[in-house]
Amino acid sequence: MADPASSEILSGLELNQLIACHECDKLLRRPQACAGERVECPRCGCELYTQRTQVIRRSMALVIAALMLYIPANFLPIMQLNLLGQASNDTVWSGVLGLYNNSMQSVAVVVFLCSMAVPLLKLLCQFAVLLSIRLDIGRSYGLLLYRIYHHMREWGMLEVYLMGILVAIVKLVDLAELSIGLGLMCFVALLLVQVWLEVTMSPHQIWDALSGEDEHAGD
Amino acid sequence: MRAIDAGLLTCHECHQLNPIQTEQGKQFCSRCGGLVHARQPNSLTRTWALLLTAAVLYIPANLLPIMTVNSLGKGQSDTIMSGVIELVNYGMLPIAAVVFVASILVPTFKLVGIALLLYSVQRHQPMSPRQRVLMYRFIEWIGRWSMLDIFVIAILVALVNFGSLASIVPGYGAMAFASVVVLTMLAALTFDPRLIWDNTDPDDDHE
Repeated sequence: MADPASSEILSGLELNQLIACHECDKLLRRPQACAGERVECPRCGCELYTQRTQVIRRSMALVIAALMLYIPANFLPIMQLNLLGQASNDTVWSGVLGLYNNSMQSVAVVVFLCSMAVPLLKLLCQFAVLLSIRLDIGRSYGLLLYRIYHHMREWGMLEVYLMGILVAIVKLVDLAELSIGLGLMCFVALLLVQVWLEVTMSPHQIWDALSGEDEHAGD
Repeated sequence: MRAIDAGLLTCHECHQLNPIQTEQGKQFCSRCGGLVHARQPNSLTRTWALLLTAAVLYIPANLLPIMTVNSLGKGQSDTIMSGVIELVNYGMLPIAAVVFVASILVPTFKLVGIALLLYSVQRHQPMSPRQRVLMYRFIEWIGRWSMLDIFVIAILVALVNFGSLASIVPGYGAMAFASVVVLTMLAALTFDPRLIWDNTDPDDDHE
């Protein structure tokens, strides 16, 4: 696309017919994607957007499911350790408290943010954004919340926490009697629903719906 | 052709194109209201600052104990490396490999990798942009996994809490290690990947 002829073609186009890759800043003519299609940048290969069907309805269902799983996943015991007749329970929350009470307040705050606060706030933001699209109210707040959501994305680490649970199980299993709790099932379910939600809720369609460019978004 | 050459700015947050308005100091995105810049301001300087801080903290993170296991009056301190070696000694090789990758290889790779990216952007190194962008994406994706050890400590501290019989207490290495992870993640976020492509000659992007 370096030849001057194509540059002239691109500059002649309207703004809404163009798209720029957010990773390498290459300017392209906006391709028309059919449902289920994925558009990639020809230069750096970064995903520009994916067109999905029934984004709002599916995402709404997944957000509600995730929010219902959140409390049991975080406050039901993930596992129980028995040592010479004494038992201790571990929940995500008790892990945070344990660090806090052992004079590791800063680490406790990081763990609290990455494993509890950010995942919850992300879900609440997504829920509010979807509601605002669905009911067609408070679009400006929807835009603000969706921006906040994008800043938090990186910091929710449920999948890493699950790996941490596995490592802890392996470390302890030979030392004492260990039993798995209901909390772990809820945690795994929450993680799966959340990953599914991230895949379903394609940001490009949400931005279009929020800014009112896509009239059929609420369907 | 780059968007910046056409007088367009891409919003960092919603990827909407905005025509450059030269008369104003700050420009906001017409769709989402976020602040738009052609490139993230001072991206290289900020990334260097975060990276160097992380590199300094990397030393205590590896030398100080991340946790102490107290059992029947005896205390045993674990650093990151000794935790991995202990897992190997127990014969749990797959888990040992995961912990080794997440808490030793990844932080080291991130520190070196981001430094290489910064250096190559500043010095116009002949490394191909495709290689660099792959490295950038890998660093961005893998960064979060270094938190693994911190979460393991959180779980162990909560679970092994039997008073004088057996208990696990976190050490200051954990604090340093958590800072390294957070700082390198921030460094990856402040680095603007478009700089990788800005330095390459526009005529040699093979399409």
